Order: sequence, then structure tokens, then C-alpha cells
Amino acid sequence: MRRDFTRFFTPGSFGWLIAQDLRLSLRRLQGMFGALKPRTASLILLAALIAFHGLAWPVAHWLGEDGDQRLFYPSLAAGVLFVLFWLVSQSLTGATRALYTRGDLDLLLASPLPPTHILGARAIAIAAEAMGAVAILVLPIANMNVLVNGWRWLTIYPTLLAGGLFATAIGIALALALIRLFGPRRTRVVSQVVATCVGAAFVLSLQVLNLFPEETRENIIAAIERSEPGLFNRHGLLWLPVRAAAGDLQALIFWFALAVGLFALTCLIMGRAFTTSAVQSAGLGAARTKPRAIRFRAQRGRILRHKEWRLIARDPWLLSQLLLQVIYTLPVALIIWRSLGTQSAAAVSVAPAIVVIASQLSASLAWITISSEDAPEFLASAPVTRAEIEWRKLEAVALPLGLFLALPLIGLAFVSPSAALWAVVFAICAASSTALLNLWHPMPGRRAMVMRRHSQSKLIGMMEHLLSLLWAVAMVLTGLGSVFACLPIGLALAVLWFNRPSRATA
Amino acid sequence: MTGPADHFSTIPAAVSLRGLTKRFGDRIAVGGLDLTVRAGELYALLGPNGAGKTTTLRMVAGLLPADEGTIEVFGIDARRDPIAAKRITAWLPDEPMLYDKLDPLEYLEFVAGLWSVAPEIAEERAVALLHTLGLWEHRFERCESFSRGMKQKVALAGALIHDPNLLMLDEPLTGLDAAIARQVKDLLMERVRAGAAIVLTTHILDVAERLADRIGIIHDGRLIAEGTLAELRQLAGQNHSTLEDVFLELTGQGPAGQGPAAQPTAIDA
Ligand SMILES: Nc1ncnc2c1ncn2[C@@H]1O[C@H](COP(=O)(O)OP(=O)(O)O)[C@@H](O)[C@H]1O
Ligand SMILES: [Mg+2]
Repeated sequence: MRRDFTRFFTPGSFGWLIAQDLRLSLRRLQGMFGALKPRTASLILLAALIAFHGLAWPVAHWLGEDGDQRLFYPSLAAGVLFVLFWLVSQSLTGATRALYTRGDLDLLLASPLPPTHILGARAIAIAAEAMGAVAILVLPIANMNVLVNGWRWLTIYPTLLAGGLFATAIGIALALALIRLFGPRRTRVVSQVVATCVGAAFVLSLQVLNLFPEETRENIIAAIERSEPGLFNRHGLLWLPVRAAAGDLQALIFWFALAVGLFALTCLIMGRAFTTSAVQSAGLGAARTKPRAIRFRAQRGRILRHKEWRLIARDPWLLSQLLLQVIYTLPVALIIWRSLGTQSAAAVSVAPAIVVIASQLSASLAWITISSEDAPEFLASAPVTRAEIEWRKLEAVALPLGLFLALPLIGLAFVSPSAALWAVVFAICAASSTALLNLWHPMPGRRAMVMRRHSQSKLIGMMEHLLSLLWAVAMVLTGLGSVFACLPIGLALAVLWFNRPSRATA
Repeated sequence: MTGPADHFSTIPAAVSLRGLTKRFGDRIAVGGLDLTVRAGELYALLGPNGAGKTTTLRMVAGLLPADEGTIEVFGIDARRDPIAAKRITAWLPDEPMLYDKLDPLEYLEFVAGLWSVAPEIAEERAVALLHTLGLWEHRFERCESFSRGMKQKVALAGALIHDPNLLMLDEPLTGLDAAIARQVKDLLMERVRAGAAIVLTTHILDVAERLADRIGIIHDGRLIAEGTLAELRQLAGQNHSTLEDVFLELTGQGPAGQGPAAQPTAIDA
């Protein structure tokens, strides 16, 4: 790290603080690429950017002359809303992290710098991180729109910048409100869950909207067209960011002023609250378990399984990541269900979704219990065979998975009992195969890395997704009553066979 | 509680290593190590960093396959029947390995379960250990907030809860403050008196000097000297008085700079 931009500022000044915080953000970004060399990481980033620009091309055409102009404002509004939700989710995570991560913040708060400066600098870094995550997807659309539909689309840049500041102000206020509401101990968990839900809420609500009858949606579009007073009046204040994104300069200026004002106000007002909250959460120490009578269990299997469940259940970050994995699978199923419309379609929409969720969750849980074991050597020093420990871990994976899938499976059974039955069979196959893959090819890593675990072994990651896909396809074909279901089943078994542990390493 | 050297021959060997060897590529981490520790004895393996202490302990604990040699734990061939040997052995790593999200009680329950200790006995021992080690107040706190010293103590409680006959402790006192170190020392002495054998490694001379019945000096994976403190002093020559002088002399870092002894010099053999 040579790029030390802090030296351009007087030490202790606001600019210096901002530079300091941005440098930490940059480090975190570098950390995401793991052991990759900076050059490789930039190449990957560049490739992603090119790919996203390619994907944005049809979107730009659709928003321009080619598309249905009636849908222009509704879809732009949906996009802006989506980005704002996403930004709030990101900044809430960032604000919580800032409040709870010990280290440099302790040092800063102990220094004679004014708290508003400290919060201001940290808030700018949070906003920058949130915007960075969103920009890589949004700005290609803006760029392509500039190419296809003209210069005015450049206003997405300042609109996004203002959106970042706006959302960060909300995120920080939300984090502090949560601390007020739930106390510093529980807020870490709560805000993780809230951030996850906020991030996913929009995607889900869009799907729910999709489930409404055609008529309702037509009415909403018509209401926006006519600019009726109220929620759908696109000349109203609520539509300010949408009009700004659409290239309305006056709206842009207002939107920008509003965002900067809110951001500055938050930093000024909340500076002290932020400081006290940070200090509070520092004095927390660790969470306590419930005081109880000392009663040890006797059975080894139970003790081994309980340990795994406790470690997962007490890790809110892990739980929110698992939840997210499930949430993102749902819209696909809903889309398919809708497009097919009939009840018998359950077998080809919901059932495969259950199979995919089973395989993905099973893979994550197996990785958590096997690869991110905290004390592998300690376990090895115990008078228990490795096989028994591994078996207990797989048992520990099975129960939460079964509990989690029981509800959708029962729901499915009401719609189509045969589909539910097949879903159970294929979910068990899929879950077992990805769990076995993780058992045979452990990829040691920290628990927090659960969603980035494949950065170690891209091949195993691909195998995992392939297995999950093959079992889902098998489910679809079985649901359609096709004998070709044998094909993906055979392929999945072959994939497993080729990944079996070699005698030498076992 | 140390008897004269000739007494040892009648006491059963708690751990007996013969020609133990471990290579990492070309590097010989442990080269033909012979070592015998008897029940009721506290043996300190003393050596500079990289001497092969941790590697030796890890082989005995069954974590690392040995390349050559034999390991016997109370007459059990540990390389043939590792599970039986592990049943009576405890290993304490140099970095405490705990589960951050568990509290000390839950951790002890887990360890007792791994070693199949009857719950009633384990509960009793857990309570006693937590009291002795000053962890009772913290029994419902998750280990993630603990200082290194506290974590070390929890790990030690885990090593003691299944009442092992052989304790392999890797740098057990490193990083502990004086008060905690004192508690740990007392606890270890009590075990030795009860008939357990303890092998601890250290690079701190003071620890070996105060605690150990016998001291083995290990250097480059070989035992270069072994004996009681008095015997080691004698070996190094009259004009050396402290163990530090002896140690520096024997590992070839002393002022005389004569290089390490070529052959392992077992005094009490
Ligand atoms: N897993 C390993 N891979 C390669 N070399 C190792 C490994 N473990 C230990 N070594 C080497 O073996 C030697 C002995 O190490 P160790 O037993 O840890 O020493 P000590 O505990 O006495 O400080 C050192 O040179 C170390 O670099
Ligand atoms: Mg060591």
C-alpha cells in the first residue's frame, strides 16, 4: 500500500480524518479479493465492468425509444427505489460495523478531535463503501444510456452520489435508533437482520406486486401517467430522486441539496449520540449465556451436535447470510410459478426451488461445521475417531436443514402431494451430495467468510453449483413426468464419483 | 517430590519415545529423539525457538504422524492404537484453541463429552476447576471476550477435566501474568503429586528451573542434555551457576562458544 493520501492533509484536520477512513475502506475492499495480487484483482474488476456494460446495453435500449414509454417512469422509479433500499441496507451494515468494531475508533474517541468530525469522516467512508458496491451495477446502465439515449443520463452520477449520502444518513440514524430501542447488546444481531431484510425487501415486494392481478398493475401505471395527487404523483416530492435520475436538472439540484443537508444534519446532531453509543458498545464485553444450573449431558453424539448448533445460532452474521441465500432463491420460484399459472406448475417451480435451497444451505452448513471448525487440532487430540466427528457434524447439518425445509414442503404437499414427495427425495439427494462434496474437499476458512468460501477453490465452488443445478433439473423433469430425469441424476452421481476422496489423502 | 535418579527405574514410564523422527521436506524438525518420562514426574523440554518442542508434543498427542520411531504412553503403542493413548492424554496447544461462542461451562461439557467422562463426575470437576482457576465469576460469559490468560486457563481446565495420566503442555506459562502463572503452577504440582506425568515445553529458563523435576535440553531436534538442575550445572562446568549459563553453553551460544555437544548427554541413564 503506497497510495497514502493522508499526507496531503494537516494531521488532525477533517480532511485528514476522511482520508484516514477512506484508506481503511480501501483496505477492506482489498481484503475482499483475498490473496489475489492487486493486478489480478483489478483485471477481474475490469472484466466485471465490461460484462456489466454489455448487460446494460439492452436495458438502455429498452429505456429509450424501443421500450414501452408508458413503463418508463414506473420502471425508473422501481430502479431508484431498489438502489435506495440497497444503499440503506449497506450503510446500516457499515454504521453497525463502525459502532462495534473496536480498534481505531477507540483511539479516535480518546483523542481531542471533535466528535462531529469523527462521525462525519466515518460517515463519508460508509457512504463511499455503500456507493461503491452499488455503482458497479448502476453506473454501467448510466453509461450505456448516455451512449444510446443522450447526455442527460449523466445525471445518474450525481443522483447516485446524493443517494449515497441520503441513505447513509438514514442508515446511521437507523443504527442509533436500534441501539436506543434494543440496547447495545442485541442491536448487533437486530441490525444485521434488519439490513438483510431491507436489502431483500424490495426484491421480494416486487415479486408480490407481480402476483397482483394484471388490472391492479395497470391501474398503478395509469395513475403514474396521469400524475394523480398522492403517492403516484410524479411531480411530488417523493419522486424527486426519480426525476433527478431521469435528467431533470431542477429536481437534481433539489435532490442533491436535500441529501447533503440531511447528511450534514445527521453528522451534526448525532455526533454525540454516536460517540456515546460507540463507547457503550465497547464496554459491553461479550454476550453472556443464560445463568443456569450446571447439568452436563452424557451422550457424546448429542454433545457434538449441540456444539455445532450453538456456534451457528450464536453467530448473527452467519444466520443473516444463510437467510439471504434463501431469500434470493424465492423470487425465481415466484416468477416461474406466475408465468405458468396453474397448480400443477408447483412441481416445476416451487419444488426445484426447494431442491436448490436444500443443496445450497446444506453446502453452507457443511462448510461451516467442517471447514471452519475453530479447534480442529484439539478435536484430533480427543479419543474419538475422525469419522465419528465428521458423521456428527453431518447430523448437525441435517436437523436445521430439515426443520427449515419442512414448512415449504408441507405447503407444497397441500398443493401437490406427489410434487412434495419428489421434492423430499431430491432435496435429500441434493443436500447429501453437496454436504459430501464439502466433507471430501474441505476448504478451511473463517466462519464470516461463508459466502466467499469458494475464493479458495473455484473448482469445488463450480461443482457445488453444478450439483445443485443437476438435482433441480432432475426435479423439473420428474415433475413433467419425463424419463429424461435419469440424465441429470446420472450426471450428478458421476460428478460425485469423480470428486470422491482419493485413497491416498483419506 | 523428586527422588534420586536411581529411583526412577522402578516407576513405570508414562511416556517413552525411541528414535522419534519428523522431517518437513529436507528439514529435520525432530531427529531420532529418545526420551522417557515417568509417572509422578514433571519434565521440562527446554530449547530455543524452532528446536522441535512443539513438533515432538504434537506427535505424542497424535496430531502429526511420526516418520520413524516409537511412542509409548503408559505401555500403549500410540502409533498403533492412537485412540487408546489419547484417552489418557491431554494436550494443551501453545495458542489456546477454544470456541469463541461457548462459555467456559459449555466448553468443559464439550471436552468432558469427547473424553466420555460421566456427567456427574465432570460437573463436579468443572466446578472445582473453575473455582481454582478464578473463572467461576465468568462461567456464563462467552470466551470471545476473554484475555489470552483467561483463555489459556479455560483451555487448561479442559485439559484437566478428564483427569489425564499424561499431560502434554506446550508453553503453558507463556503470556500469563505472575498471579495466574502461580495458580497454574500449583494446579500442575497437585497433578504430579497425584501421580500424573507432565511434559511441558518452554523457552523460558526460569520456568524449567523452578518447576521441573528433570529438564531436557533440545536443540535442532535432538536432545543434547538431560538431568536435574544440579546435574546439568555439573555437566556445564564448575564456573557456571545459573541454568541460563548452562543452556547457553550447551546450545553453543555461550561466551565460550564451543558449539553444541555432539552427542546427547544423558546424565541419569
Ligand atoms: N507444519 C510444518 N511445516 C514445515 N515445517 C515445520 C512445520 N512445523 C514445524 N516446522 C519446522 O520444524 C522446526 C521445529 O518447529 P517447532 O517444533 O515448532 O519448534 P519449537 O516448538 O521448539 O519452537 C522448525 O524449524 C519449524 O520451522
Ligand atoms: Mg513451539
